[in-house]
Amino acid sequence: MIKTTPTKKRLLLFIFFGWILLILGDRVGDLELYQGSFVATYALAITSIILLTGYSGQLSLGHSALMAVGAYTGALSIFNAGLHPVIGLIISVFVAGIFGLILGLVVARLSGPYLAGTTLALAISLPTLANQFPILGGEEGIVFDVGVASARFGDEFSQYKWFFWISALAALIMVWLVANLLSVRYGRTFKAMRDNPVAAQLSGINVGQLKVMAFALSSGVAGLSGGLLVMLISGVSPSAFPLSLSFAVLTGAVVTGLYNLKGVILGGLVLVAIPEIADSLVSRIGGSEGFTTTLPGFLVSALLILAVVFTPNGPGHLLKRHHHKKKV
Amino acid sequence: MIRNKSMKRASLASAVIAAGALVLSTLPAQAATPGVSATEIKLGISSPLTGSAGVAYGKVPGAMKAYFNYINANGGVNGRKITLISRDDKYLPTLAATQTTNLILKDNVFALVGALGTATHSKAYKAAALAKNNVPDLFVNTGFSGFGDTTKYPTTFTVLPSYAMEAKIMSKFIKEKFTGQAVALIAQDDEFGIDGVNGFKAGALTLASTTLYPQSSLTDARAKALLTGLSAIPGKPVLVMFGTTDVTAGILKAAESLDLVSKFTWIAGSVGGDANTLLALGVKATTLNGVVAASFFPDAKDKSDEYVSQFMTINEKYNKGVTFDNVVLQGMNSAMLTVQALRAAGKNLTRAGLISAIESKGAKFAGAGLVPLNYSATSRIGYNGYWFGQLNASGELKPYGGTLAIFTTDSGAGAIEASTYKRPTMPKNGIPTNS
Repeated sequence: MIKTTPTKKRLLLFIFFGWILLILGDRVGDLELYQGSFVATYALAITSIILLTGYSGQLSLGHSALMAVGAYTGALSIFNAGLHPVIGLIISVFVAGIFGLILGLVVARLSGPYLAGTTLALAISLPTLANQFPILGGEEGIVFDVGVASARFGDEFSQYKWFFWISALAALIMVWLVANLLSVRYGRTFKAMRDNPVAAQLSGINVGQLKVMAFALSSGVAGLSGGLLVMLISGVSPSAFPLSLSFAVLTGAVVTGLYNLKGVILGGLVLVAIPEIADSLVSRIGGSEGFTTTLPGFLVSALLILAVVFTPNGPGHLLKRHHHKKKV
Repeated sequence: MIRNKSMKRASLASAVIAAGALVLSTLPAQAATPGVSATEIKLGISSPLTGSAGVAYGKVPGAMKAYFNYINANGGVNGRKITLISRDDKYLPTLAATQTTNLILKDNVFALVGALGTATHSKAYKAAALAKNNVPDLFVNTGFSGFGDTTKYPTTFTVLPSYAMEAKIMSKFIKEKFTGQAVALIAQDDEFGIDGVNGFKAGALTLASTTLYPQSSLTDARAKALLTGLSAIPGKPVLVMFGTTDVTAGILKAAESLDLVSKFTWIAGSVGGDANTLLALGVKATTLNGVVAASFFPDAKDKSDEYVSQFMTINEKYNKGVTFDNVVLQGMNSAMLTVQALRAAGKNLTRAGLISAIESKGAKFAGAGLVPLNYSATSRIGYNGYWFGQLNASGELKPYGGTLAIFTTDSGAGAIEASTYKRPTMPKNGIPTNS
């Protein structure tokens, strides 16, 4: 009999999940595929927040800036350097990671509100800076074109299905890598650092180095998510990365539960589904335009409060607790 | 059980025919055009309704809806009522892309009208696959000349004149009217300002000084320092402000506190020259009196203009509680152009038919614009000219020198020409029957 280690089990789980997505992708329409691509992209961004805030205990309000770094890198590699989109996205991960590494080195001494303030300033200033360099295309930005799917997939293979395949596969691989990383020693040292940095240091953990590493890893994941986001809107520009994006992703992470990766898809779903739910609610009740535009924000805020009150560790954690109780 | 071979064949054939009939009966006789039924035409718009841009441009969809409702109350277009589905993109590219995709895939609209913003709409156009589905993309509200490129945007028609056109025409105007005066330019450092700077170059205007500032960086202190520097230019320099209205207001207020209002001849570009907004932002009426501004529309306060007064009447009835201003005028005008385009496309409405109808008849559409519409088989650019006026203390824009002088040009190296264009008269009661 084959011995199934947790790592093998996880790999099988991800392959199974990918297979389900593949089948689902053939059964739903273009609009659902497009929304699914956004879910995958936001799930990745939430993963990067969980990695940084949930595991290493550092708060970032500037993830939109890190996503922008990945997005611009990807766009430049594809549009200016003429590289293959897949290579462009991989470069996004690395360049955003290096950016995060440098940023991590600078902010490693900061914590709490100081770190939040610094990253907030980054989120506000970085996209505006992009306006200053002609190569980045100014306010209109640059095209991010992954092209159409290969002809061998057939005529029926739409642009949206192609987007879905790329973003779902990228998200699956990345989340799998992060889940593996967190299940080994790094995950435990990260948690130790988060819960009690002094105790962690006393047990021989290099807290400073670990913080920088968490920043770099989280940045890399955010970079990929930024790259995917601008793929979905076919181009990158400063206004694609507003401060509200940072907050939306953070909200998604809190709703998901900051301390485990199990619910990232749920977080992504929440961010995509809320405007849709608001939309159908308004069309059913027949509200005014002002009502339509404010309802999504209201629903997200309500959900955030409910999540904090009832499942502070996320619905994934709730399941786990239930599971434990059963065992007992 | 079927034993006989021919019986078997016959039953197989009948089964195939029956199945075929079943399939055919469920298919419509002809693939219907999305968004068009016997009684309705569905149109869509993605524009900012909330956020900072929403404050300035949020009235556009409401004004368009008001005009469409007026037309619907008067029989619609070829018996069909127009429904405009409006979605808020908060002026964010990501939302513009998803909202426009929603309009196409979920709301199933026939065409888009009045999309607003360069960075937002350029993304939305690709993301919603408008070119692939041949979705008409009518009367886009931006001065970015790039939307006229039919290889990138094969279904797009823009309506506003480009920033480059404005700067070129302004060059000619300054050279003719303010001969001998030095010219200083203060422009926003992005596509908008750069398009303008290139336009001034194409218009061969000699600039004594050019200041480019990043958006929202021109603080009161900087504006004062800038004006103090520029006041060293001898004589009465012409000061061109090619930026958004808040910046124009900031510069004018700085001049007030430095007592430099009379030192310069002030010219505000069309984007930053809206008198109502300038007054609301605290610029003194006496300062505004005499400021030169560019426009291609009649003044939204001019009740003697037949289009303005008709639109005002419609606004009162169908857009209750909304003040009539330049933005409402622009929205209603685009809606009026849309109605003419739909009429011109005929009863058998198709997407391709609508596009070719604007190409062939668009230049003759009736509209409030005082400058020509430039649609043709080779041009997707709408208005292609400007006139210059002077603001008075109550914020009304009156033609410079008393007579309306219109100039037309293109966004490239084309000549700047004086035009004798007379716009078509207002259709009776504002209901087009001409196309």
